Amino acid sequence: MRPYTFAAARSVSEALEQARDGSAYLAGGTTLVDLMKLEVISPAHVVDITAVPLRGIRADAVGLSIGAMECMADVAGHDLVAGPYPMLAEALRQSASPQIRNMATIGGNLLQRTRCGYFRDPHTTCNKRSPGSGCSAIDGHNRSHAILGTSDACVATHPSDLAVALTALDARLSLRGAGGERSLRLADFYRLPAGTPHLENELRPGELITGVTVPALPWARRSTYVKVRDRQSYEFALASVAVAVNVRGGVIGEARVAAGGVGTKPWRLPAVEQALKGRPMQAATFEAAAAHATDGARPLSRNAFKPALLRRTIVRALVHLAG
Amino acid sequence: MAQPTMNRIDARAKVTGAAKYASDHNLPGMAYGHMVTSTIGNGQIVSMDLGAARAAGGVIDIYTHDNQPSFPGALPGLAGIFAETRHPLADREIHYYGQLVALVVADTIEQARDAAALIKVTYAARPPKSSFEDAKRSPADPPSLPGLPLGQPIKKPQDVDIEAALAASQVRVEQTYDVPPRHHSMMEPHAAVAAWQSGKLTIYSGTQGPAAHAMELAAVLGVELSDVHVVSPYVGGAFGGKAFTWAPALLAAAAARALGRPVKVVTSREQLFTVTGHRAASSQTLALGAYRDGRVTAIKHHTTCQSIVEDPGYRTTPKYYAAPNVDIKLMVTPDMNLPTATIMRAPGDEAGSFALESAMDELAVRLGMDPIELRMKNYLESTLIEGTPYSSKHLDECYRAGAARFGWSRRSAQPGAVTDGDWLVGLGMSTAILDSGRAPTTVRVTFRPNGTATVACATSDAGTGMWTIMAMTGARALEVSADRIKPALGDSWLPVVGNGNPDVYGAVGSAATSTVTPAILVAAKEAIGKLVEHATTAEGSPLLGARDVRYEGGSLIGAGKAVAFGELLTLTRSGEVGAQGTSAALDEGYAYASYAAHFCEVRVNRWTGEPRLSRFTTVVDAGAILNAQTARNQITGGVLFGLAAAMFEEGKVEGATGRISNANLADYLLPINADTTEIDVHFLDYPDTRLSPTGARGIGELGTVGAAAAFANAIYNATGKRIRTLPITLDKLLA
Repeated sequence: MRPYTFAAARSVSEALEQARDGSAYLAGGTTLVDLMKLEVISPAHVVDITAVPLRGIRADAVGLSIGAMECMADVAGHDLVAGPYPMLAEALRQSASPQIRNMATIGGNLLQRTRCGYFRDPHTTCNKRSPGSGCSAIDGHNRSHAILGTSDACVATHPSDLAVALTALDARLSLRGAGGERSLRLADFYRLPAGTPHLENELRPGELITGVTVPALPWARRSTYVKVRDRQSYEFALASVAVAVNVRGGVIGEARVAAGGVGTKPWRLPAVEQALKGRPMQAATFEAAAAHATDGARPLSRNAFKPALLRRTIVRALVHLAG
Repeated sequence: MAQPTMNRIDARAKVTGAAKYASDHNLPGMAYGHMVTSTIGNGQIVSMDLGAARAAGGVIDIYTHDNQPSFPGALPGLAGIFAETRHPLADREIHYYGQLVALVVADTIEQARDAAALIKVTYAARPPKSSFEDAKRSPADPPSLPGLPLGQPIKKPQDVDIEAALAASQVRVEQTYDVPPRHHSMMEPHAAVAAWQSGKLTIYSGTQGPAAHAMELAAVLGVELSDVHVVSPYVGGAFGGKAFTWAPALLAAAAARALGRPVKVVTSREQLFTVTGHRAASSQTLALGAYRDGRVTAIKHHTTCQSIVEDPGYRTTPKYYAAPNVDIKLMVTPDMNLPTATIMRAPGDEAGSFALESAMDELAVRLGMDPIELRMKNYLESTLIEGTPYSSKHLDECYRAGAARFGWSRRSAQPGAVTDGDWLVGLGMSTAILDSGRAPTTVRVTFRPNGTATVACATSDAGTGMWTIMAMTGARALEVSADRIKPALGDSWLPVVGNGNPDVYGAVGSAATSTVTPAILVAAKEAIGKLVEHATTAEGSPLLGARDVRYEGGSLIGAGKAVAFGELLTLTRSGEVGAQGTSAALDEGYAYASYAAHFCEVRVNRWTGEPRLSRFTTVVDAGAILNAQTARNQITGGVLFGLAAAMFEEGKVEGATGRISNANLADYLLPINADTTEIDVHFLDYPDTRLSPTGARGIGELGTVGAAAAFANAIYNATGKRIRTLPITLDKLLA
């Protein structure tokens, strides 16, 4: 870990005042401290925002709002989340470990960095960590890497489970920076790597995520998050899907489908949603729709299984919702 | 008969933190060493820029190949074969990715680590020979090891033409089974705190064999054995990884000597993958020929491995099944740019049992025969090659009892026939056999005036329950309650037979209990003799001059009186009275082994292929069970160790760089609680009195042996897919 200066903020405005070139906000610290120890990132100035009161989980007719400093465990266990949005609670509960979920915040979860082993090892090349140095993963150990949204510069997956569920739910982020407040769809917040994988999102320098809003979606009560991984807990997804269906009279009226563990960002699957729409809630529909999930997928040397795994994960989630 | 059982006597100390492990020791004036490792897999160090590191705060010295601390001697004995013989920082050559290139010593650990990050090394890299997949295509004959059977071909009869025998068989199966490199990943990393005083070294360092560790340190450091004192009462897991001396202890000792102050060196989790040993990858070709009635006619077991340490053919095949034609051979892939291979929990046996017990399952499928019936058709009563009778073998009962407990009769031989919702359910079984034995060893038993007695031996407890077994066995031998027995272990100054004898290696080969407990009985008898003599001859004894004094239940009885030994020693003001005793040599007329029958149930998701463990039963024939709790704990841990190889563990080496891409506990997957289930362990408890008076055989590694095959066989039963390359991950099960 490299030396840095430290300040603690008690309010959003104090935090914004402290932000500067090369600074980093410290919330739960479950990503930042890790990466500082590995010297993957070495901020010159760390602004502790753990006392900034960006709290609260509220719901009204418009939807659900969650303060950015709420911890994962509290959100997962909240009645306003678990009942109306099962996929959100399930995504959170299948993330990390209880200890990490007690520390990690919602804002920090959405900003966590990839688990690509090359990104995390400064002795290897990585365009995301060190722009222009090259990508070790493309010809390296890439079993866990992305098949969607990749570029010749980067094939790293986005690691957040929560972001997948929020993408399916069309969530918006509230942001505050020196220029004031603004709001962005989460789907528009994350960037594809293209030639600049170090630029992962639309966050402006010093800008802070203050909260997340989920538009009301009454039929999201029938939703689920299926996460497939080698180990049963404490591991990132090889493939995951968040699925919600609005079924009337055995026919799917609308569907939301997003995938994780396979994309360079949380991956909404509109073609799958479209293929489900107006079809009977049954296995043949699921298999036909899931076939659209991997349009344009580019498997790597060690993850040729991922397209099939993604399609089957979608079918599994839909079978679960049908059951 | 109810098996004896007792809580661990060291449990409270461990739970409360009172138990001090090696790195918990902090000495006055102690400095901290932090190791720096190479970032190429093959080549040379061209230059090292130490300027910024030397200028960093608190740095005392930096050791590199340019100023290597003094290591005058070589690793002796087995360590010269099974550990890294090249001394740390020997020269500028880099042989593998993650090799030690520097030790930074500073006033604090933070300063040492910080300075280490400032060192810049320039390398001249060569393409590494790190891919076992490539190297195994052109293997070489193994080296000949004096006095060791590893690597020696085994043929029965001597002129066997195994291919002809297989070709003449009515049914045959031949397959290749691949096992990746595996790392010990014990909870407590290798760590050492070394301090010198007047030319004598005291070192706190986790080890399985304190006496061997002292012998190896003395040899490499060029000092007398009597000048080295290894202290290691608590060890946080070892699994063979702490059987020998590795760089962290050598560096701590050498730096402490050079600097004239104590030095602590703790290995990081990432460094553990490279600066200490691991289990080498192996590739085994196993062919079985049989009659249609299931009698095996021929076994070919050919292995290619990075190292001679793993010899699955030698370790496994001669002790499992009868066959008239046998051909066992090991080939190696020498000079690879990989970290050093060493022994790891059930070396050879784990990999060998995966191959053999998978192949037996494949043969059972081919024959349409129940896997247990096939095994009973080929049951061995004496060893396959020499024909030596087994001392006590109840494996047949393990099969029967295990089948009944597990519900084996409910298994469908048809793969994929049983489902539970979205999960395919499969049952599999396997045999586990582990050679058992013991070395003659020495124990000291001492009576003390406070009414307690010590039982001392330079063995080790790496979480196995040795502290407790010593107390229980001492209590039995001295006829007192176990809380009056104070065991002493984990210290090189405690008794062993002598330098160079097998027992210096302490707790290895699952043989600590079978080795130490008979010696406790011998030493107790000697000590009682001394105590009786003391009672009749010592000034102040109430039994002075009495005749026919005898020892009973902690008291000396004679002349119409009974005097407790504590009271006696208090009255005679003579301190302690005791004796050493050495156990007798093993009766070589028998072969000794422990046995188990494993039964495993798995579930495989029909959509996404995740394999999940759902039930496991094992019935164990390991001689007398001296402590049911710690024995169960050992088997449970051993089974999970084997299942972890089946499900998760794989050191992933990049062929192009030699770098292990998952050298950390986030990416090197070990099972967590959610992956496990309650392991149903049942002991038969037939004391093996031919092995020793306590009748106890080896336990720990037995659980590991065969566990992966039971899992793989269950996977086949669930899915119809035969996975011959570990670990069995979902991508291999997606159709």
